[in-house]
Amino acid sequence: MAGSGNAHLRPRDEVLLRVEDLVVEFPAGRAGRTVSAVAGVSFDLRRGETLGIVGESGCGKSSAARALVQLPPPRSGSVLLDGQELTALRGEALRRTRRRLQMIFQDPISSLNPRRRVRDIVGEGPRVWQLPGDRVDEVLEAVGLDPGTAAERRPHEFSGGQCQRISIARALILEPEVVICDEPVSALDVSVQAQILNLLEDLKARYRLTLVFIAHDLAVVKNVSDRVMVMYLGKVCELAPGGDLISRPAHPYTRALIASIPSSARPAETLITGEPPSPVDPPSGCRFRTRCPRATDRCSLEEPQIRQIGEDHWLACHNPAPNH
Amino acid sequence: MIVVHRLVRLLIVLLAVTFLSYALLNLLPGDPVTQILGLSATEEARAQVRQELGLDQPLLVRYLDWLGGIATGDFGTSYITRMPVAAELAERLPVTLELLVAAQVIALGLAIPIGVAAARRAGRALDQALTALSFALLSTPVFVLGVLLILVFAVTWQVVPATGWTPISLDLGWNLTSVILPAVTLGCGQLAVYARLLRTDLIATLQEDYITLARARGLSPRRILWRHALRPSAITLITAVGLNLGALIGGAVIIETLFGLPGVGRLIVDSIFSRDYLSVQGGVVLISVGYVAVNVAVDLVYAAVDPRIRRA
Amino acid sequence: MRRGRLSARLGLGFWLATGWILLVLLAALLADVLPLARYDETLAGPPRSGPSPAHPFGTDGLGRDVLSRVVHGARVSLGVGLGAVLLGLAIGAPLGLLAGYRRKAADAVIMALNDVAQAFPALVFALAVVAFAGANLRNVIIVLGVLGVPSWVRLVRGSTLTYAGREFVLAARVLGARDRRILWREVVPNVAVPASSYAFIGMAVVIVAEGSLAFLGLSVQAPTPTWGGLINEGRTIMEDAPNVVLAPSVVMFLTVLSFNLVGDRLRALTDVREIGLEPVRQAVAAVPAPTAPHPVRDCLLQAEDVRTHFVTPRGLVKAVDGVSFTLERGRTLAVVGESGSGKSMLIRSILGLLPGTAVRGGTVYLSGDDLTARSPAEMRSVLGPRLGTVFQDPMTALNPVRTIGAQVTEPLRVHLRMGRRQAREEAVRLLASVGIPDPARTLRRYPHQLSGGMRQRVTIAMALSCGPDVLFADEPTTALDVTIQDQVLRLLHRLREERDMAVVLVSHDLSVVARWADEVIVMYAGRVVERGPAAEVFGRPRMPYTEALLQAAPRLTDPAHHRLRVISGRPPDLADLPAGCAFRARCAYAGDRCATEPPPLTEVEGRAYACWHPLPSTETSLEGTHVDGR
Ligand SMILES: Nc1ncnc2c1ncn2[C@@H]1O[C@H](COP(=O)(O)OP(=O)(O)OP(=O)(O)O)[C@@H](O)[C@H]1O
Ligand code: SF4
Ligand code: SF4
Ligand SMILES: [Mg+2]
Repeated sequence: MAGSGNAHLRPRDEVLLRVEDLVVEFPAGRAGRTVSAVAGVSFDLRRGETLGIVGESGCGKSSAARALVQLPPPRSGSVLLDGQELTALRGEALRRTRRRLQMIFQDPISSLNPRRRVRDIVGEGPRVWQLPGDRVDEVLEAVGLDPGTAAERRPHEFSGGQCQRISIARALILEPEVVICDEPVSALDVSVQAQILNLLEDLKARYRLTLVFIAHDLAVVKNVSDRVMVMYLGKVCELAPGGDLISRPAHPYTRALIASIPSSARPAETLITGEPPSPVDPPSGCRFRTRCPRATDRCSLEEPQIRQIGEDHWLACHNPAPNH
Repeated sequence: MIVVHRLVRLLIVLLAVTFLSYALLNLLPGDPVTQILGLSATEEARAQVRQELGLDQPLLVRYLDWLGGIATGDFGTSYITRMPVAAELAERLPVTLELLVAAQVIALGLAIPIGVAAARRAGRALDQALTALSFALLSTPVFVLGVLLILVFAVTWQVVPATGWTPISLDLGWNLTSVILPAVTLGCGQLAVYARLLRTDLIATLQEDYITLARARGLSPRRILWRHALRPSAITLITAVGLNLGALIGGAVIIETLFGLPGVGRLIVDSIFSRDYLSVQGGVVLISVGYVAVNVAVDLVYAAVDPRIRRA
Repeated sequence: MRRGRLSARLGLGFWLATGWILLVLLAALLADVLPLARYDETLAGPPRSGPSPAHPFGTDGLGRDVLSRVVHGARVSLGVGLGAVLLGLAIGAPLGLLAGYRRKAADAVIMALNDVAQAFPALVFALAVVAFAGANLRNVIIVLGVLGVPSWVRLVRGSTLTYAGREFVLAARVLGARDRRILWREVVPNVAVPASSYAFIGMAVVIVAEGSLAFLGLSVQAPTPTWGGLINEGRTIMEDAPNVVLAPSVVMFLTVLSFNLVGDRLRALTDVREIGLEPVRQAVAAVPAPTAPHPVRDCLLQAEDVRTHFVTPRGLVKAVDGVSFTLERGRTLAVVGESGSGKSMLIRSILGLLPGTAVRGGTVYLSGDDLTARSPAEMRSVLGPRLGTVFQDPMTALNPVRTIGAQVTEPLRVHLRMGRRQAREEAVRLLASVGIPDPARTLRRYPHQLSGGMRQRVTIAMALSCGPDVLFADEPTTALDVTIQDQVLRLLHRLREERDMAVVLVSHDLSVVARWADEVIVMYAGRVVERGPAAEVFGRPRMPYTEALLQAAPRLTDPAHHRLRVISGRPPDLADLPAGCAFRARCAYAGDRCATEPPPLTEVEGRAYACWHPLPSTETSLEGTHVDGR
């Protein structure tokens, strides 16, 4: 597969969030078949770090994000937040950890309740936690909305970008440590996307946030992330700091992703053909082998393990590109 | 596969409906024994009748007994008339069937062109007129409509008889004149429901990308409506045809009373008034079987209409 | 303001219906104090008399005042309606919420019970229960209420399911809200809208059901009058006293109609717009400004001053406002701009495929032939054979219930009059040419059996089937993954070369445009703000908006945490455009003139821009094109 393994994980005491061998499956139709959405993914984040996750639709990005907040809990694997195992928690104990881990969603419209006012949407967190609610104005201000005009209105009176700001305010007001952003800018126009990306960077510095940033656009992910992880069909392909990943991609899939961007100067021979196979019935060995220009027999037999190929550059592939 | 699955489910529903109705009818106050012997009968006489009729058995035993009988076509013997229930039902079923089928044919036959015409010119005068008309029909209770139709066609113009029934076997022409008014009355309410459903779904379909693209390929509006839009818009309509059977039968009960038709609905009403449990229960079985049959048919039609349902 | 619009949207019928309901309700409440004859007083007037001042609805067979009896009957109808609806709601709504929110086991059990209830012949049961348990108000309410439960469960479950699946419910869970709070705060307020609409429709249903029972003599017993009972009594004497049966009939009809109408209008508030296949004729069409005389050029496609306006309640929306361009064979024209800038409407205007509420202006020439002068029927002979179209979302671009074969062969058979066999063979060739493996088998399949990339290839094959001269591709790859997107764009390019077509490529993704287009027009708020050869426009943008767009997108080559240059604010409201330049509020170069005079599209050396203070034409790095939109 685009592979498994935990070689790339850092010592436990250095990281704030540590995810090991995450597996998420969903039932697929009848006859007990399952969709293997996330199949043994591991990663970790230091405090204040941003991890970017890229991959095509259906590669398990969002499933992984939701498994982090235990909605629903993963099939197996562990999610350690500051040493605390979240997957072992249920009910009230799990609820108590929620403040520390917040999430921002893709669809700015559907993630806000159309019947509530912005003040109630943003103030919901403090009310749930019985915190003083007077920070609503401050947080709205921080995300670039004017509390005076915005707070009493309902979501449909705002544009997509403004709705996304409201979502961010709702997450931030609880002063979380980790914020998971699941495609937060995918539904936005370029000009608004830039506003939100800059805003996230500002807020990260101001509130000392640790971010998991998920998107399908490599350029966007690279812009905000310290490290970038490439996923394919529920598996990790490659992990490296953004600059390193773009300048020296080693995994055939990473190379194909870069070459597919119209503006990139990558040679056409790294392009791939065909379409991703069904996650109900993933290929044996390396999951990318059905589309991989470099695949060999070994790739169908043996799943590649994650190994180090440079300083903080990690790869799961048997036959990486030579010019790496 | 899916159809088999549904069939099993519907059979379970059938069992549940018959059991619940059996239990309900038996648990309600009112006693056939009193109905047969009158209030003044002695306790011994009552016990005697009770035993004869098997009413001293526990409910579940009686139900299973009765169910076993149904399986062999024996619907029991009416406590009141002492006639086999099956014979009575068999005699009346054709009347009700003819009424229901005629009503359904009228309703669908008119609803489809009306729905299509309204959707095609949504928002314009014709649509508004048709919408208003179907709204009015929808809001007219069958017995009101029936009375009005009788008043106009039977009393004032005297083109059809107000009441009574001529079986097909006697005279086809007379049969048709005796079924037309009841069927129209019963069909009109359904017609309104169907036309509105079809109109709404068609309008939604007409906004789909694939319709715009069909227009972009230079296809004529007529072709787009009938070949492209109608089938994907028919799902709700088909469901309604299946689910509405209950409403239709409720209507049939009234219509048969109003027009004096000797159908199953009339039988059920009469049996209810005379506390003739077994006849009521027989009627319920018939209706439930009809419901199941119609819904199996609906599932088959579904699969024919929408390939997404037709998975292996 | 909002209130006013709301009442207008509900319509006159709604208010009339509400008025009637209130009237009946009041009459029922005040029946005893109103100056009416007693409902059971026989010989209050001569029997079977028609309407008169003393007895507005006449008298019945026993000389009782019909009006009084109808008014008292309203008590039973409305009372039963209210009671049964509330009872059904009280039982059905919690069950529906539970089934829709909890799903799994709770849902399975509740829905199985519902299935059984559905198969119950409801009226028969109502009859039986009322007959055996006693025909009185309480029993009728209980029976009709309970019989209404399945419908309530289905309705509430359905809308709970929709809302419980929305991301805002997930967000509330992430916040740590407990289920009960989520149900009350997030789900119930949303479910309340359809439920309140259904409450009115339910009233109508119950009133009819009560009437049916009463008609059969199984509702509240005499001497209390009921509408159904009155109708039943009246029909025996309808030959000589039709007023006795007509009065309750009409009142009942109006009441049921009113409840249905109110329920329907409430539901329509949350519904989508209703647009048919044929345009609604505009009362007063807002005629776009007359077009200046223009030369008809010798080129494949020429658009002159195309305008698309919508008359909306908010005012005139100028979705496309004076767009002109020309296009030669074998070239690709890209239309770029942010969401809502009018790109799609421009394409639809050219093709004559606008929604019914649109007003079109300007002229479009295809090889010198004026398309806007054609009737719809004449236009159809061009659509397909000469103009091909591909849309954004391949998931919705194919008819789900027809085979690929039926859809691909259709234009061949309609336009090229091919026979079945011939069309099939041609379809196989077409599918092969767009890179579909095993085309013969694909013809027999349905759209849902294909992946998104394959479907987009099929729609491209369909667009190309009659050999069009111009292919319009509205965001053909936006819904696809990057690797697939690249394949499809390459395919389009190859086909353009092979067939010597012209392509109009709509995209919001500047990198796609820079890579694949020869010419580009940049749109902002419905107008062209810059036009020219793609390399030049992106290499040396003259209009500040183009420059800002280029800089707003992150580039692969930027270092991490590179601060993006943002365009502040957002596009203006098209119904309320500012005077002067539409971009002024967001423009870093704006001057005084920008606020008052809209900049005209100025042509300079094969390029054009609309700006009072254009950027210098010095060479900036071509790096600027290396961007990616979304
Ligand atoms: N039926 C309609 N009634 C009123 N206004 C409409 C209608 N359809 C579209 N509009 C308006 O026309 C404008 C242009 O819309 P259009 O779809 O052309 O934009 P676009 O550039 O294609 O955007 P996107 O990138 O989101 O596809 C928008 O402001 C839209 O709100
Ligand atoms: S070379 Fe083999 S292991 Fe590497 S990506 Fe290709 S198929 Fe997978
Ligand atoms: S005309 Fe003025 S406001 Fe408009 S883009 Fe040019 S400089 Fe900016
Ligand atoms: Mg568009």
